[in-house]
Amino acid sequence: MFLKVQLSWNVIISAEDLDAKGLMLQRSIITRLLDDFACKKATKDLGYFSAVTTLDSIGEGKVRQHSGDVLFPVVFSGITFKLFQGEILDGVVYNVLKHGVFLRCGPAEKVYLSNQMMVDYKYVPGENPIFLNNKLSKIGKDVTVRFMVIGTKWLEEEREFQALVSLEGDSLGPIS
Amino acid sequence: MVHPVQSALQISSLLLSFSLGNCLCLPRVLSMSGEEEENAAELKIGDEFLKAKCLMNCEVSLILEHKYEQLQQMSDDPLNQVSQVFEKSLQYVKRFSRYKNPDAVRQVREILSRYQLAEFELCVLGNLCPETVEEAIAMVPSIKKRGRALDDEAIEKMLNDLSLIKRFE
Repeated sequence: MFLKVQLSWNVIISAEDLDAKGLMLQRSIITRLLDDFACKKATKDLGYFSAVTTLDSIGEGKVRQHSGDVLFPVVFSGITFKLFQGEILDGVVYNVLKHGVFLRCGPAEKVYLSNQMMVDYKYVPGENPIFLNNKLSKIGKDVTVRFMVIGTKWLEEEREFQALVSLEGDSLGPIS
Repeated sequence: MVHPVQSALQISSLLLSFSLGNCLCLPRVLSMSGEEEENAAELKIGDEFLKAKCLMNCEVSLILEHKYEQLQQMSDDPLNQVSQVFEKSLQYVKRFSRYKNPDAVRQVREILSRYQLAEFELCVLGNLCPETVEEAIAMVPSIKKRGRALDDEAIEKMLNDLSLIKRFE
């Protein structure tokens, strides 16, 4: 699910960049904010950081004693993406393995559908392996699948999520 | 990933959006009580998210596509100036948006807002576009719970109204 969030971050401008006044200073702050936002990539609570949409306010700068840098509290709005347990979403298969498939869903890549979560489907090995059920419904590379999220895990070091998903439920499975 | 260089236009557009004092509450660190396990099917997603604004894929698509177009005007290599998260988000919403026309997108939200839905439920419906009442309940089971269950008639009407938009897009 994509979320619209409003956040308050401290943006640090180094002493060298402070010579600029007015508009140039604002530009430095925004540039810094956009860089910080991109580098942050994701948080456990809000999910993946897709984009900054508006700048809502820039507060008064506070000088940091030892470095001479100035800290500006900035309030801005942005869009994030988070997978919720119990949520139903569409994703695209990109890797088919013997015990399950990996899907991409939004910015999330480590979305895993285990063979135990698609009970009617059996693995069919080959050059382009797929999972097939007795109604000849296929789950293979580039297939879009509607699934339910059964669990998510935040990986602190990689700054990303892992998700386990399932097809057990009405109206779930590959969609054309 | 190459460290993104922010184009002048992107900065300018943010400067233009600069307006003082929005009174939206700032999201605090999420904390769910020990007993309540997250479950979107029952709309147990944390109070913070119940109050947060959710966006449908088609709404996000309009926003991200617009941003990307701005970058294309300013640079030969716009993909080099956005994060991977932006790129993957854009790719995803472009593919999974049922409605492309901005008026249609507005209408979808407007129609769904007439029914007593939580933001989260509204967006799941707008994203997955169920065609029958059974499908709608399967996609968003919580619409039949929480003490203000939507009756089948209301769900049917809602789906009919939505299907009208698609036809005239």
